[in-house]
Amino acid sequence: MESHKNLSILQSYISKMPPLPVTVARVIEICDDVNASPADLSKIINLDPVLTGKVLKLINSAYYGMVNEITSPVRAIIMLGINTVKNLALSTAILGNLGNSKNFCALDMDKFWRHSLSVGVISRLIAKKRNINRDQIEECFIAGLLHDIGKIPLNNKFSDEYILAMDLSDRERQPVYISEKQFLEIDHTDVGKLIAEKWKLGTEIIDTVTYHHSLEAYKGSKKDILYTVALANYFANVLESDFSVDRYPEEIGHEVLHHLDIIPEYLEDIRDEVTGEIEKAQVFLKIAG
Amino acid sequence: MKVRFWGVRGSIACPGPDTVQFGGNTACLELRFGETGRLIIIDAGSGIRTLGDYLMQNDLPKGPINTEIFLTHTHWDHIMGFPFFTPLYIPGTKLRVYGPVTHEEDTLDTIIGELLCYRYFPVMHSELAAEIEYCQLNECEMDLGDGITLKTKFLNHSILCLGYRFEYKGKVFCTAYDTEPFRNLFPSDPDSPDYDPIIAEEGEKAAKEETERLLDFFRGADLLIHDSQYTVEEYLSSKKGWGHSSFEDAINAAHKAEVKKVILFHHDICRTDKELISLEKYYRELMKNKSDLEIVVAKEGMEFEL
Repeated sequence: MESHKNLSILQSYISKMPPLPVTVARVIEICDDVNASPADLSKIINLDPVLTGKVLKLINSAYYGMVNEITSPVRAIIMLGINTVKNLALSTAILGNLGNSKNFCALDMDKFWRHSLSVGVISRLIAKKRNINRDQIEECFIAGLLHDIGKIPLNNKFSDEYILAMDLSDRERQPVYISEKQFLEIDHTDVGKLIAEKWKLGTEIIDTVTYHHSLEAYKGSKKDILYTVALANYFANVLESDFSVDRYPEEIGHEVLHHLDIIPEYLEDIRDEVTGEIEKAQVFLKIAG
Repeated sequence: MKVRFWGVRGSIACPGPDTVQFGGNTACLELRFGETGRLIIIDAGSGIRTLGDYLMQNDLPKGPINTEIFLTHTHWDHIMGFPFFTPLYIPGTKLRVYGPVTHEEDTLDTIIGELLCYRYFPVMHSELAAEIEYCQLNECEMDLGDGITLKTKFLNHSILCLGYRFEYKGKVFCTAYDTEPFRNLFPSDPDSPDYDPIIAEEGEKAAKEETERLLDFFRGADLLIHDSQYTVEEYLSSKKGWGHSSFEDAINAAHKAEVKKVILFHHDICRTDKELISLEKYYRELMKNKSDLEIVVAKEGMEFEL
């Protein structure tokens, strides 16, 4: 990979990244409606990692002197106003016409969407189970929703290599990020880091996106959220089995379960709740299950 | 520090028999600092035309005009006078235009510059004699030199809109327009179909914290110019979410933030002179003995010294 050239291709794509094809129609429908409710607006934002990231990017770039970066779309809607957020979502969705499903030839975007949302929902459930405070629970959801965002630019700008990388993962039974690195010299966590930093998403999300496949290398202070999302990612891949976006994920180390005080059987307890949340989202997006 | 009002209306200029006393021009303020009378302008509503003419007569003879315009936001009523600001056409004029830009890709120079294109106006922006520099602003603190400091804060309007707080020699001058009180936009009634306890709580918290941040922004100001487009009845009946405050909102906020003088500003185009006189009288009576806050309804030509 000609690193410099490819990096600038990725960066230019990131600045105009459209929402996922699965949400675009509903984004346009909600944002075109003068009477759209803030609840619907926040719901649609929460169902799309790109939109969530862009709303947080706008608020974190504009505001100054906040103690922490803002990671809640609800707060962003109140601070920026419903019209500003609607306009942002709408203009982002219009970019989406450039990226309809036909362009997503390597990664199945429906599966990608389902996986991102599952990891968000499972992260939230793990966080709830651990009785942490509400702000952090929602932050876990957002970090889970966004953890794989780096796959979007890779899949769009280097789709031929991406197909080869996915095939290699199937043949060699290895995690996708390893194959990405082999074909592209860069993996989705590197690209995710680029996006999360550019969008000023805050240390928690930047670290989660960057380290969710290299927990052992992590030396920062946001282990709670990082481990939560890493475990949720593993659970989601197991839960999804045939629909998984990463069919051969690395096992999660004992220290993660220990750190979070979660037992593997917990996965069984939340299976129905996760499926229920995905179905609810599908009804909201008016897509077939 | 001195402030003079060249335009006090919102929406669109509204000259006529009902607005003779308070004026029909849209937002424009002139600030002067210190012995040298350094000039800073806030907003380029239709009032900036007469300010421009005043500068041509009184400032230009002393030397070229060198000033800053701080735009609160880019809605029509705050920029419509810009092409009619005569110093733009005078060689030697130096202008720095500051303001917020919403998420659009267009920059401030494009947004303002495009007002001057043949489609809308007979002179192109590139033909202007003045040297103009544009600078996009977010929430920030700036040292403007000569002992003047500026702090900015986002308000609650339908596009990004900044309030400005100037401090000079221990005096504080602050603007809070166009703005509506922050409120929880999400349902807090458990019977509502969209109710979600986490979102409801987050919404309450966000609205409360933003209100506090705004009060902190104008806390202790000697003079606060606050949006008061509506009466409370108008606001509650049909103007919620339109990005403006009521007289009550403005007075309450100023009182809570221990402001010394609040100037009620950005009058609705339908508000007559008669109504403004009686509203000013009513609120002064209402707050008498309850607060030290001085209440004044903004009028074109009005001047204050801090």
